[in-house]
Amino acid sequence: MIFRALRQLREAGVLGMNARNAEYIMRCNPRSSFPLVDNKVLTKTLAQKYQIPTPSLYHVIEEHGNVSRFEGALGDRCEFVVKPARGSGGSGIVLITDCMAKGFITQSGERISREDFAYYLSDILSGIYSLGGLEDQAIFEALIHPEPIFAAVTYQGVPDVRIVVYRGVPIMAMVRLPTRASDGKANLHRGAIGAGIDLKSGTTMTAVHRSRVITHHPDTGNPVSGIRVLYWEKMLLMASRALEMAGLGYLGVDLVIDRERGPLLLELNARPGLAIQMANRSGLLGRLERVDGASPDIFATPESRVAWARATFKTS
Amino acid sequence: MKRPAVLLALALLLLTSTLLTYRMLWLEYPIFPTAPGQTWQLSIHARIKAEQKEVRVEIGLPSEHAGRMLLEERITSAALSFNLLREGPNRLGVWSGTIEPGVEEIAYRATIVVRPGRFPKAEPPTLIKYPPIVGKEEQALAERLSARWNGLAPSARLLAIAASTRGEWGTPLPEDRDLRAWAVVEEKYGRLAALQALFQVAGLPARAVEGLRLEEGIKNSLLTWIEVWTVKAWEIVTPDTGKIEGKPASLLPLAAGGVPAIRGAAGELSDVRWSLSRQIVSQWQLHFERIRRSDRLLDRWSLFHLPAEFQETFRILLLVPIGALMIGALRNLVGFPTFGIFMPVLMALAFRSTGLAYGLGIFAGVLLIGYTVRRLLDRLRLLLVPRMSVILTLVIACFTILALIGNKFGLRQFMAVGLLPFVILTMVIERFFVLIEEAGVREGLRTAAGSAAVSVISYAIISWEPLQLTFFVYPELMAAVAALLVLLGRYTGYRLSELFRFRTFRSLA
Repeated sequence: MIFRALRQLREAGVLGMNARNAEYIMRCNPRSSFPLVDNKVLTKTLAQKYQIPTPSLYHVIEEHGNVSRFEGALGDRCEFVVKPARGSGGSGIVLITDCMAKGFITQSGERISREDFAYYLSDILSGIYSLGGLEDQAIFEALIHPEPIFAAVTYQGVPDVRIVVYRGVPIMAMVRLPTRASDGKANLHRGAIGAGIDLKSGTTMTAVHRSRVITHHPDTGNPVSGIRVLYWEKMLLMASRALEMAGLGYLGVDLVIDRERGPLLLELNARPGLAIQMANRSGLLGRLERVDGASPDIFATPESRVAWARATFKTS
Repeated sequence: MKRPAVLLALALLLLTSTLLTYRMLWLEYPIFPTAPGQTWQLSIHARIKAEQKEVRVEIGLPSEHAGRMLLEERITSAALSFNLLREGPNRLGVWSGTIEPGVEEIAYRATIVVRPGRFPKAEPPTLIKYPPIVGKEEQALAERLSARWNGLAPSARLLAIAASTRGEWGTPLPEDRDLRAWAVVEEKYGRLAALQALFQVAGLPARAVEGLRLEEGIKNSLLTWIEVWTVKAWEIVTPDTGKIEGKPASLLPLAAGGVPAIRGAAGELSDVRWSLSRQIVSQWQLHFERIRRSDRLLDRWSLFHLPAEFQETFRILLLVPIGALMIGALRNLVGFPTFGIFMPVLMALAFRSTGLAYGLGIFAGVLLIGYTVRRLLDRLRLLLVPRMSVILTLVIACFTILALIGNKFGLRQFMAVGLLPFVILTMVIERFFVLIEEAGVREGLRTAAGSAAVSVISYAIISWEPLQLTFFVYPELMAAVAALLVLLGRYTGYRLSELFRFRTFRSLA
């Protein structure tokens, strides 16, 4: 019975955790490139070099001594996002939408006093949210005003688009929609919805919420499928360029669509999760193997890679 | 890709099997160093009452062969001098010398290891036609009686003759006159000698043996039996019942072939006692002794040469890779959540001093207290390192209180928490807290339960004495563990938990 189940997964082309780690991450992602994606400050600098737009950086705190002086650096900006530079899985990210005399208001309407906020900043610097508990930096960047295409299926927070890129070829994509359960965060393991996006048309298809296939957003009640993502070609190209930028053969590219600035690169992930397969109801392994079997010409430029991907990975 | 890893694993396995083969075949290591306790403590005590000045006493001692090993032979000889004498298959202890009139105690003590399934190399004995005690007439009688068995194969002949001692002569019965005459012979020389004569006459070399049955107890006299050579091996016949002994390894011969097990000038020896007791713990000692005596390279570089207090450490250390292998298998094959890789192993090591139930209790208790305090601390906004240090101090304070309570109520386990677990506990508290904050209470408890389960299994592995001993005797088994680890590292198939996680795909396929 177990063997049959294993065969079924193999036939569906599902990529398992072990295969992802051993065959793709360890083979395609040189260790030396990990810091580029693990540290968001470095990613941002690199993206600028490759003319890939990212959310504007306001300020970086590197030392505990500077925690109290962040307000001076921010000036009169009352809308910003604070995140740990090495954070993973969306932990430690706080979205501030307003300032008060005594503190700040988060996106979910919670009030944070100045002291609490300083404590939170020093937590970031101590590395509490960072991969492996290393000393960290706190990043202040522009708050995203999401393009309203996903407004009907978003509960607070900012939806983001995750594209898995293998050898520069986008192979699978999904949009991650925050829910009440995910506390406005766009991470699937926190309870966000993942909706697969057809690579050819850029339209959302099936969706998954906590490992279950759903059709409607649990909080807003609107249908999740059939939403056309704006700037789709541009986003695929941005994702595809991450190969040249970071030198990683297998990675997850997280993008957001800002109302004014269009698609922005949020972060790169050298260990993208496997849940995207469920959001697409399609296995990654089959697509990875097709990329490996493709003619070498298609890998020449980001444009050729994206064109090949859109022609190959269309959902009929 | 996959090939170098497989080749490495094969090379490691080859290394292991080469060393194992060498040790087993050339150095004669036991294949199962932990074969269930066949170790006996034999002691022979005797009193010598000196009537004359010159004393000489001979006592049959056990001898060593492939199926039996003697360790730690100890002799008490008082004022006498002791010598070992070899007479054919026998080993005799000779106490002799000049003593003052009075009573001397002599003793012999040895640890005997029986290795069932291994037999001494037996050489065919020469057939002595008649035991010296049997006279001409009796010889003729024995020949007449045994004529009926001449046509049988040696083993069948053995059975038939043995049956005769129970009066089963088979059909047709020998002449009544002969049977009666034979009964007289049995009466005169004893059943043993009579039966032995019958075997001899029938062409089966036989010898009388004195010895002990390996069972706990103190004996004042020895058993006697007859060993009969049936071309291939010695068979043991109990003279009283004519039964063939099925388990020759359960008998311990002390003197064979007519040599008495105790011999001394009349009146000198008294109060001879043979006592046997089963030993369970000496397994360890046994391999130690065996290997220490050897001068082969691998034996000289054996872990048995370490001082005893360090041996204990390595017995456990050698098993830690197995624990790690198991954690690896649980994580990569099953998909079991645990707090890191080493935490369960370290917890298992800590359980060794506290015991499993107390260990789990202490861990759960301290984790709970730590979690509560960590929650409260969160409001104080302490920086990371000082905050962890507070938790560390708390954990150590908990241990101190436990030790004091343990001392008050005589619970050693509470005092045994030791140095090891405090670091792990501190880290577990922090990770437990962060996990609960980030992924919810359910996930936190699930991971904690997973870790506890894995550490219990690891504990069971590292405390399993037969496995400890096996690895201690054959440390090269670690290379085999490494081979499995390498193979596991190249396992790119699905985890069992993924069958559940990706279950929607199974309906699609």
